[in-house]
Amino acid sequence: MAPGDDRKGNGLMIRESKLNGVLFLLALLVVWELIAQAELVNPLIVPPLSKIFISFWSLVSSGQIPLQILVSTKRAAVGYLLAAIVFIPLGVLMGLFDRVHRALEVVIEMVRPIPPPVIIPVAMLFFGLEDEMKVFVIFFSCAWPILLNTLDGVRGVDRVLLNTARTFGLSQGKIIRQVILPVCSPQIMTGLRVSLPITLILVVISEMVGSTDGIGYFILDSQRRFRVSQMYAGMLSLAILGYVLNQLFNFLHGLLLPWHAGRME
Amino acid sequence: MSDSKKFNWTGWLIFAAILLFWEYGSRSNPRLQLYFPPVSQVVIALAQTFVSGEIVNHLLTTLARFMAGYFIAALVAVTAGIILGYFRVIHSLLDILIELLRPMPSVAIIPVAILLLGIGNSMIVAVTVYATMWPILINTVDGVRHIDRTLVATGRTFGLSRWRILQRIVLPAASPYVVTGLRIGLAIALILVTTAEMVAGSKGLGFFILDEERSMNSRNMYAGIILVAGLGYALNRLFLGLEGKAMKWRRGMIARETVS
Repeated sequence: MAPGDDRKGNGLMIRESKLNGVLFLLALLVVWELIAQAELVNPLIVPPLSKIFISFWSLVSSGQIPLQILVSTKRAAVGYLLAAIVFIPLGVLMGLFDRVHRALEVVIEMVRPIPPPVIIPVAMLFFGLEDEMKVFVIFFSCAWPILLNTLDGVRGVDRVLLNTARTFGLSQGKIIRQVILPVCSPQIMTGLRVSLPITLILVVISEMVGSTDGIGYFILDSQRRFRVSQMYAGMLSLAILGYVLNQLFNFLHGLLLPWHAGRME
Repeated sequence: MSDSKKFNWTGWLIFAAILLFWEYGSRSNPRLQLYFPPVSQVVIALAQTFVSGEIVNHLLTTLARFMAGYFIAALVAVTAGIILGYFRVIHSLLDILIELLRPMPSVAIIPVAILLLGIGNSMIVAVTVYATMWPILINTVDGVRHIDRTLVATGRTFGLSRWRILQRIVLPAASPYVVTGLRIGLAIALILVTTAEMVAGSKGLGFFILDEERSMNSRNMYAGIILVAGLGYALNRLFLGLEGKAMKWRRGMIARETVS
């Protein structure tokens, strides 16, 4: 087969496959609705989809879900940005100066295997149930992907580039800004991208374990009160939030690194 | 990372200095001891709970749930991933469903699991399976779809049956991707087990750590954290060791590719 034919065939396949997927999804949703309407399964556990959507809509228009989402997003954003502000420069420092790297390596390797949610009780000990608790947990769990990816990026910078910059008499600050940061920005972006779902997961967990508001608390609380369609509505809004954050990241990525964004995925 | 051949004296000295500073600071400020109990007392607490068997029970519970969740997830996700990657029709049916479910943080499934299964082992294992499946599934599908078509075509030319092609060509060629998925899944499984134990558990290390925090017994809390970190570290090491053995053939191939 000629390569041209192959490409055209693929394009057709993709369009066809999307249609199949949508139809299959719709079929599943209809089956769900029918099963729930006929009460074949306990309606307390699987309410009809229509009920979930109605509940979702009334919670959105009453402002309750937007409020919870806003609370969670604020915590997530602060923790995430703090982690970026602290650990990108630290990664650059560690990548540039082997001495700094060797000094911190053991401490990092000792702390890194701690599964992030286990830090929640420690954060609760220090900060109680306040916002700072969640911010710290997110900060801690985003630290590793951001730090290690930046470090890898800086260590991978071509030595010739660095030496050229030095030969031209660039100051250390200029070398960092004009050589190192542009060269390893793709890796830094990778670290930030990996941290995005981690942030969302940790904000939900910390709200489930110790909070009185936020979308994670909202979902768990709805379950405890057996308001099941409200629980599913909360999950739906969380999925939307995850999707929107991802799209936003892609958009910013394209804005900041247009030469690189297209190549990812 | 850095030259791992040489012993990192500076790093270990700084680590020891931090521990010593912690110990000293805590002993000279009794008010701080709730937050930073002396390191030596944390170690003693760890030893005591180990000898009394209290923490061993929690550790074994967590480990058993982890193992069950991880292996079920691996089995289901690798099988499903191969089917999804191999048969275009099935992939086209499920692709959108997967893309819609994926952005939701997996921990949000915990309340649903509590509704369906109550609080107990099956709930925790189910949640772990759900979350651990994603990276394994996505990577396996990617691996199978990235196989050089010529390889499969060559297999067909030699008259291999579908099953043989799967066994001899598809699985080995996709295995690097599968292994990547399995490695990511390892960390996720531990996260989910401890989370589920914190949200709704009466046993396990996640429960133990949170419970000790609530009763303001920070020594035991830190002891539990050290143990979880140790567990995570050991599991990762074990995985890397097994991976090194199982994927030895691949390292040879990569080396050859880069040399030529």
